[in-house]
Amino acid sequence: MTGRVIIIGGGVAGMQTAITLDELGFKPVIIEKEASLGGKLCRWDRLFPTMTPAQEVLGDLLKRVEKTASEVRTSTTVSEIEEQGRGVTLSDGSRLDAEAVVVASGFDIFPAERKEEYGYGLYDNVYTTVDVERMFREGGVRMADGREPKTVAFLHCVGSRDEKVNQRHCSRVCCITGVKQAIEVKQQIPGAEIFSFYMDMRMFGPGYEELYRQAQQQYNIHFVRGRISEASPTIDHRIHIKAEDTLIGRPLRMSVDMLILAVGMQAGSSNVAFGRNNNIDLYPSGFLRPLNQFSGNVRSSSPRLFYAGTVTAPKNIGESINEGIAAAYQVAQTLNAAKS
Amino acid sequence: MEHFRLFVLPFYAGAFFLLITLLCKYIYWFIGLSREQKRLFWRSLPTRATWKSVVEIFNESLLHRKIWRTNPLLGYMHTSFALGWFLLISVGWLETFVYFKGESVPLYVDIFFSYYVHPIFERNFNFSLIKDALLLLILVGVVLALFKRLYSRIMGMKRTTKHMLGDRVALTALWLIFPARLLAESLTSAEVWRFGGYVWTLSENTQLIPPGIGCGSFLTGSLGQWLADFLPARIIEAQHVELTAWWIYSIALGVFFVALPFSRYMHIFTEIPLIFLRNAGLRAAEKESSFDHFQVDACSRCGICIDPCQLQSGAGIQGVQSVYFLRDRRYGRLTDAVADNCLMCGRCQQACPVGIEQNTLRLNSRVKRAYPDSPNRYAYIQGKDLSTGEGKVGYFAGCMTLLTPKILRAMEQIFTAAGEEVWWADKNGGVCCGRPLKLSGEVDAARKMMDFNKNLFRQHGITTLVTSCPICLKVFKEDYALEGIEVLHHSEYLQRLLAEGRLKLRSGSETFTYHDPCELGRGSGIYEAPREVIAALGVLKEPAETREHALCCGSSLANTAIDDEGQRRIGEQVAMALAATGADSIVTACPLCKKGIAREATLPVYDLAEIVARAL
Ligand SMILES: Cc1cc2nc3c(=O)[nH]c(=O)nc-3n(C[C@H](O)[C@H](O)[C@H](O)COP(=O)(O)OP(=O)(O)OC[C@H]3O[C@@H](n4cnc5c(N)ncnc54)[C@H](O)[C@@H]3O)c2cc1C
Ligand code: SF4
Ligand code: SF4
Ligand code: SF4
Repeated sequence: MTGRVIIIGGGVAGMQTAITLDELGFKPVIIEKEASLGGKLCRWDRLFPTMTPAQEVLGDLLKRVEKTASEVRTSTTVSEIEEQGRGVTLSDGSRLDAEAVVVASGFDIFPAERKEEYGYGLYDNVYTTVDVERMFREGGVRMADGREPKTVAFLHCVGSRDEKVNQRHCSRVCCITGVKQAIEVKQQIPGAEIFSFYMDMRMFGPGYEELYRQAQQQYNIHFVRGRISEASPTIDHRIHIKAEDTLIGRPLRMSVDMLILAVGMQAGSSNVAFGRNNNIDLYPSGFLRPLNQFSGNVRSSSPRLFYAGTVTAPKNIGESINEGIAAAYQVAQTLNAAKS
Repeated sequence: MEHFRLFVLPFYAGAFFLLITLLCKYIYWFIGLSREQKRLFWRSLPTRATWKSVVEIFNESLLHRKIWRTNPLLGYMHTSFALGWFLLISVGWLETFVYFKGESVPLYVDIFFSYYVHPIFERNFNFSLIKDALLLLILVGVVLALFKRLYSRIMGMKRTTKHMLGDRVALTALWLIFPARLLAESLTSAEVWRFGGYVWTLSENTQLIPPGIGCGSFLTGSLGQWLADFLPARIIEAQHVELTAWWIYSIALGVFFVALPFSRYMHIFTEIPLIFLRNAGLRAAEKESSFDHFQVDACSRCGICIDPCQLQSGAGIQGVQSVYFLRDRRYGRLTDAVADNCLMCGRCQQACPVGIEQNTLRLNSRVKRAYPDSPNRYAYIQGKDLSTGEGKVGYFAGCMTLLTPKILRAMEQIFTAAGEEVWWADKNGGVCCGRPLKLSGEVDAARKMMDFNKNLFRQHGITTLVTSCPICLKVFKEDYALEGIEVLHHSEYLQRLLAEGRLKLRSGSETFTYHDPCELGRGSGIYEAPREVIAALGVLKEPAETREHALCCGSSLANTAIDDEGQRRIGEQVAMALAATGADSIVTACPLCKKGIAREATLPVYDLAEIVARAL
């Protein structure tokens, strides 16, 4: 018995799993594809709904992982999971034994280029919410020519709830991210006019609805129900958009300085390869399907294979971290039972 | 009338009914043709078109050459019935003619020859042998047909066509005709074997046949001998046994003839006028016409069009394919669910051995079913000229290219590189070409878009119109009547720029596979231009089904009934077929195909313009 538990992915879910497993006396090994731990959290500036700096949450988690006896292997990708979680195959071809495996490999950002009609990667001044986080980390929102935008349009559900790109699910966090960023833009540029095009506003967490109300009442952000159908560049590098206000049932055209696409979460690119394992089942969306959605959210059909975080569905940070704890306890239960 | 037997009556009644019905139908349909269509027909008689029709009737209505090419088993079944029966009748006539030395005898003697004349040995020429051989040919066909039906039922194959009541009756009768004939002729022969008979001639001296010789040839003769040995004498002697067999044969013929005009066997005769009319230049059009009857009734429901249909093979949608559409239309029970569920990809039309214009027929059914256009609809398009630039070459992006701006961007770069002055018809938005509306049957509304754009093109004085969308291309060519303006697909335009040396491209060893868009390939016959352009850039790897046989991307605007999942599955089918070539990337020449394939593709998907612009 090596007591080794492999955690695939060192995002918030993976890090929390390692911390809890260490507390419970196991030897976790985190295998992380990127050069450093943190996952998507590394890319965010301030977190909804409290505007807490992402660095605070990340720094705290990193510190706690460091204090554990966990082994961390960065710049290493898991390419396959063995039957019954007996081990994994790494990208360099080597394999690693394990008593149990926790899959915490997270999600992928929807590549906005796939919605070609919005011109991402083609026109100046079309950005994604991920770009906007980077801009805030680098000092604030700026247009391609360095000026501050005077009019900004946010478009919700880019790459979510969209059959045309095979993403039928709701990514849950993009609505609140859009609201948060709209407020942040308004805070940075008080004179800016901000429009948010949405299909539904899904404010599922504590404080989210309040933030949405604040965005309307305090920050005067215009929420327009309707999807943008098409965007085209104008001669002065602004973006001309066509949409429909479905509440008043009228087509709408306007030019804005900046178009921000609220990109969704799509299934992680490793999921298909993981799915070759007989105990790992995929939803049609490509996310991993847990044993059940009530008492088995972090379990698979194998007693030694577990899930944590957004690998099974879109979640926020708090939910992902909770699943890390839950998965660690379930691992402990299985391994302890096997020992006795 | 001394030779008259009652059993010939069912045959007479059936044949008479069939003749009258066919004549009424064909004459009625012919009268319904427009003056211009009739003129075309009369003018074609007698020209080379007439000769061509005769050859085609021989090849397709008798030999069924096209069916042989797709499916030899089906080919044999068709040929054995059509050619076999035709020859049986011809040989029978010849035999009667020779036998009675040209004297006229009642028709029933001709049809039931073996009953009336006990042909033993006809002078220098043995007709019985030929007729037995032909009967055998047909009987093998009947067995195969039975076997196919049974087999597909056992195998649970869904892909054979379902039958209507008229079909069932006619089919049963048809299958009965030849075994009944075999039995009747053999029983007659048995009687002659056993008891002898006489040979009926017109002259006074009747020729007697002694027992032990029989009549007929290797099939009916041998079977007759066997029956004579095997059956008790009293059965053979009792004339009603033999007569019953002839009754059955006659009834089977009569029933088949009566059911024929209401069944799929209507195609046997209808193909003949269809071939003449088609070779005279008649075509189906946007509005239903009397000519359509000839096409609809010429469908044999062979089901060959089911296999190539991706709605079936890709999306699992049954019951909407051309065979079902034509059937439902013929019997007046067409529903929107069937009429609208078709990509109009033309793959079935490509395969149809009868050459039925399935897409046009479906289109005019949709036109008939469309809601009438209201006068103020689209009134807002008037005066909406958002075009920019100036030049003799106009570029029309179309709605779909505006949704795939990488193609538009690439075209901009190409025009600049070639030093072309361009008038941009709709870069900042414009009016749809009208084809999507037309395909949904709304031709009057579509006309409004067409007239608007046509005026726009004229006002700006362009001499060449380039479009990157094959859907727009097709409607420009077919419905716009743009005399004096050359209409080019961007693949043709690019090919021309390369030929004229106006574009210098970096070529490499990159491999591409090419997807033929339906509207560009089968729709407009453009196959070479895009291939030449690709060859100038790298290596082309053709997918298994290509050119005329290319798959459809599944996102066709023509299908307003399919759901997204169906489109996705067809897209997946195409993406897989293209990926199987092992190419580095997929190239197509239609913005809609690009989107449709990209949703499921593992390889990058580009428009032709994008790879050209990249290599500038
Ligand atoms: C634009 C945006 C803004 C957001 N803002 C907030 C916010 O303000 N507040 C909030 O609560 N939530 C926010 N979220 C949600 C938050 O990002 C997620 O809840 C969180 O990142 C999920 O963590 P995770 O560990 O499940 O997955 P991830 O963060 O995706 O981590 C998975 C890790 O696994 C690694 N990995 C993947 N495959 C392999 C492999 N095969 N082998 C090895 N390693 C692998 C990845 O490199 C990655 O480091 C936001 C999401 C988006 C899209
Ligand atoms: S959270 Fe909002 S923006 Fe994101 S997919 Fe759901 S509805 Fe769309
Ligand atoms: S449409 Fe053509 S291919 Fe289809 S069943 Fe009729 S004859 Fe056969
Ligand atoms: S046109 Fe295409 S989609 Fe329509 S019936 Fe024929 S093969 Fe099927």
